[in-house]
Amino acid sequence: MPTADVVVVGAGLAGLVTTYELARRGAAVVLLAKGHASTHWAAGTLDVAALPRSATPRDGVRTLAELPNHPYAVLRDDVEPAVTGFVDLVERAGLPYVGGLDTPIRALPTGIGGTRPAAIVPEGMAAAMTPWGADEMLVLCGIGGFKDFWPDAVAASLSRPSVWQAAVDGPDTASDGPPGSTGVRPGIAPHAVVAVTADLPGLAGRHNLSAVHVARGFDDRAWRDAAIDAIGRAVDGAGVRGRPFRIGLPAVLGLDDHRETLTAFETRLGVPVFELPLVPPSVPGMRLFDVLRTAIRQAGGRIQLGESVSRVEVEGARVRLVATPAAVREFAVRTEALVIATGGLTGGGIVGQPDGRLEEVVLGLPVEAPSRGAWFAADALDPTGHPIEAAGVRTDPELRPVRHDGRASHSNVRVVGSLLAGQRWLGERCGEGVALASAGRAAVSLAAGGFRGVQPLLATADTTSSQVRARGGAVEPGVGPDSLAPAR
Amino acid sequence: MTVAGPIQLRGLDDEGIRVGVSSDECIKCNVCNTVCPVARVSDRFPGPKYVGPQAQRFRLAIDLPIQGVQPAPPSPDHTVDYCSGCGFCTTACPAGVKIAEMNNRARAAIRATHRPPLRDRLLGDPDLLGRLGVPFAPLANWTLSNGLIRRLIEAILGIHRRAPLPSFARRTFRSRMARRDGVIVGGRRPDASLPPPTRAVVYFHGCAANYYEPRVADATVAVLRRNGLSVIVPPQECCGLPLISNGLYQQARKRARRNIDVLSAYARAGYRIVLSTTSCGHTLKAEYAEMLDLDDADAHAVADATWDIMELLRDLHEEGKLDTRFGRLDEELPYHAPCQLRSHGIGLPALDLFALVPGLRAEDMDHDCCGVAGTYGLKVEKYDIAMAVGADLFEAIDERPAARVACDSETCRWQIGLATGRDLCHPVEILADAYTAAGRADGQPSAAARDA
Repeated sequence: MPTADVVVVGAGLAGLVTTYELARRGAAVVLLAKGHASTHWAAGTLDVAALPRSATPRDGVRTLAELPNHPYAVLRDDVEPAVTGFVDLVERAGLPYVGGLDTPIRALPTGIGGTRPAAIVPEGMAAAMTPWGADEMLVLCGIGGFKDFWPDAVAASLSRPSVWQAAVDGPDTASDGPPGSTGVRPGIAPHAVVAVTADLPGLAGRHNLSAVHVARGFDDRAWRDAAIDAIGRAVDGAGVRGRPFRIGLPAVLGLDDHRETLTAFETRLGVPVFELPLVPPSVPGMRLFDVLRTAIRQAGGRIQLGESVSRVEVEGARVRLVATPAAVREFAVRTEALVIATGGLTGGGIVGQPDGRLEEVVLGLPVEAPSRGAWFAADALDPTGHPIEAAGVRTDPELRPVRHDGRASHSNVRVVGSLLAGQRWLGERCGEGVALASAGRAAVSLAAGGFRGVQPLLATADTTSSQVRARGGAVEPGVGPDSLAPAR
Repeated sequence: MTVAGPIQLRGLDDEGIRVGVSSDECIKCNVCNTVCPVARVSDRFPGPKYVGPQAQRFRLAIDLPIQGVQPAPPSPDHTVDYCSGCGFCTTACPAGVKIAEMNNRARAAIRATHRPPLRDRLLGDPDLLGRLGVPFAPLANWTLSNGLIRRLIEAILGIHRRAPLPSFARRTFRSRMARRDGVIVGGRRPDASLPPPTRAVVYFHGCAANYYEPRVADATVAVLRRNGLSVIVPPQECCGLPLISNGLYQQARKRARRNIDVLSAYARAGYRIVLSTTSCGHTLKAEYAEMLDLDDADAHAVADATWDIMELLRDLHEEGKLDTRFGRLDEELPYHAPCQLRSHGIGLPALDLFALVPGLRAEDMDHDCCGVAGTYGLKVEKYDIAMAVGADLFEAIDERPAARVACDSETCRWQIGLATGRDLCHPVEILADAYTAAGRADGQPSAAARDA
């Protein structure tokens, strides 16, 4: 049975970053997950906090930290180092993010014609984040045959200034006058939005074109250049040359060679270009996953997808073993610690039973939630969300889960990410901020006890055997168990 | 018109039905489409979601007869034939849908409606090919490496002229195993003369280690012997996986039943069944039930007793029973984990064990699929797809100075070997070499050296 210092369960941002932070501190760590998670669905932005009328993420964190039950009440001081560490990591990996805790929250337009409040975004979305000039236009360019981004519909929606204002000031804050009319603060929205469609080389006859297909096209240098020129010609057809404008494109601008793609746009078109996040699958999220996966591997951690946890062995207050089903028997890992990063109700870390019980799926931890009668708002699409979203696991400041009496139930377990009780990340836009801050705190907290340096199993290829031995000291060359002399 | 009554579901205890209705869990997130190596490089396959859960609602009309509803034709989407069966969709799915299994069954349903091409029947039967080829190995190998003949084979059979076909060994493993130290030729049933299950394992060598790469069987025997385990080799035949992946379930079932008949007797006597090929291992563990509906007690006894060789060695190590006196191997070793290994759900035991070998610098290539997927990449219409799927892996290996590359699956080894010109080996050969190196360092021949 393999042995690890830490098992992390869940492959969303919280699980991935916790795994990386542990691996780089020398832990033998393995991440187990049912499958891919939020990275492949989410917009790719780093949402730390965006409440109506909060000017910056720092503002939002301050407001949320005053809610006594919110994770930020405990994690508020961890947010800044966590965000800085993350931004450094992805920058080093060639996937820079732009913005910080003091960057003004602005409206980022999306591929369904809405906007989302954002401040820290991937480089490819940065050109959407500066104030719009008084006569500046937005040209939305669709791709012929690509059905997940319909520029005419998106333009029709984004031509309404209230759609932009809502991201900054909250819903129902502005009415739609004619473009540029009063009621919308200057700089929030473009002067006008127009739609064009470009036919990119070789795509016209293709069917089932997905965002990933197109993104991989941009990874090819020759195709990329031809495609960018085709986009340039389509934009010229919009009749906006001579006026200031930016180009908005679906978030498909390269998967592996995203930076090169952005650079090529800059040199070939010379106009600000940005990506609009799409319906899943999220190419910006896949880029992020790939960067984190590589970082984890290089730091000596492992990721194993495909099965959810089937069994956990607990001795006293300590988790000793975590198992997932294998093709036969099970894959059991003996471990010194467990980090639960399975997400809340939307992520699958909490499951509601027909009788109304909410169950935490890994350890059966108590779930803190409003009583059943108070789960939902009257309006299904209530912009402030539903009270049930706050359901989660309550922890102590070290992120150990607690019993109803407030004392830690498992000394070597940490809970991170959207499974933490008291947040309503959909409305508060705090998902990535809580994920990063809790990941950092869990890693520091577990590292404080030191890692035993387990047997060299679960060491990855990037950790040489000599390093493993130096850490583990479990096996000395030339010394085997006495009972097993070579057979004759 | 008859109005359907309440939907009557039957057979939810049946593995095939369970696979089918898992499409209900699909949340249409498209994650499977993002990890599909075939959809990544080709338009001919629209992606696992479209041919899997999306098309499954039509197929369920047959699998799950609903009162008053006429059975539908087998599949609304024949592009499922372009699924290579790597299984990444299933491991990536956040909702637990058995996408790959669903698609494999759909392909078999299509195949069942017409006579399969000769090529697929041949590729599905490596046992037959091996029996025909080995006695004439020099001639057969010359034939299969002759460009003109390969063109003819491509034209007549549809096997691509450049596809990686292995070379026949001059002697099969079975033909000389009886003379090997520590190998016991077993009967159809275990008998009292055998060492107890604590001192012996059953070896299912499969076709590759018998007809094409006996050195893998030799290394497996040597490493097991070094760890105090005798190796019982009972009668066996092709596990049936090539037939399964060519959609020929009926023929596969016959072979599976004959293997289960022998192996279950050993399993019930407590013997572990060890394989040095991840794909056959996964077939014994899972596909007899998941694909072939062989869901009885005998099949389960076999599945529960089946171990991949690296999985077994790692388990021995965890129990403190592995001889860890490995000699030094000073080399860079790129390692590719084959798709089928991931379906085992056992992590990466080869890498775990490589960490025990002094000086060995193994590196996980962390690439999804080499492309060949068993017999998929051999077919003329799929060869280009297979090469494109593996292109990044081949490039990464090209960039490394390593003399050899390790991989647990034979067809992947042949594909990578052909594409990169490197020597490919099974991880157990690395361990056998490390034991041999230890023997040299001691100035005494080790068990591995003597056996090999």
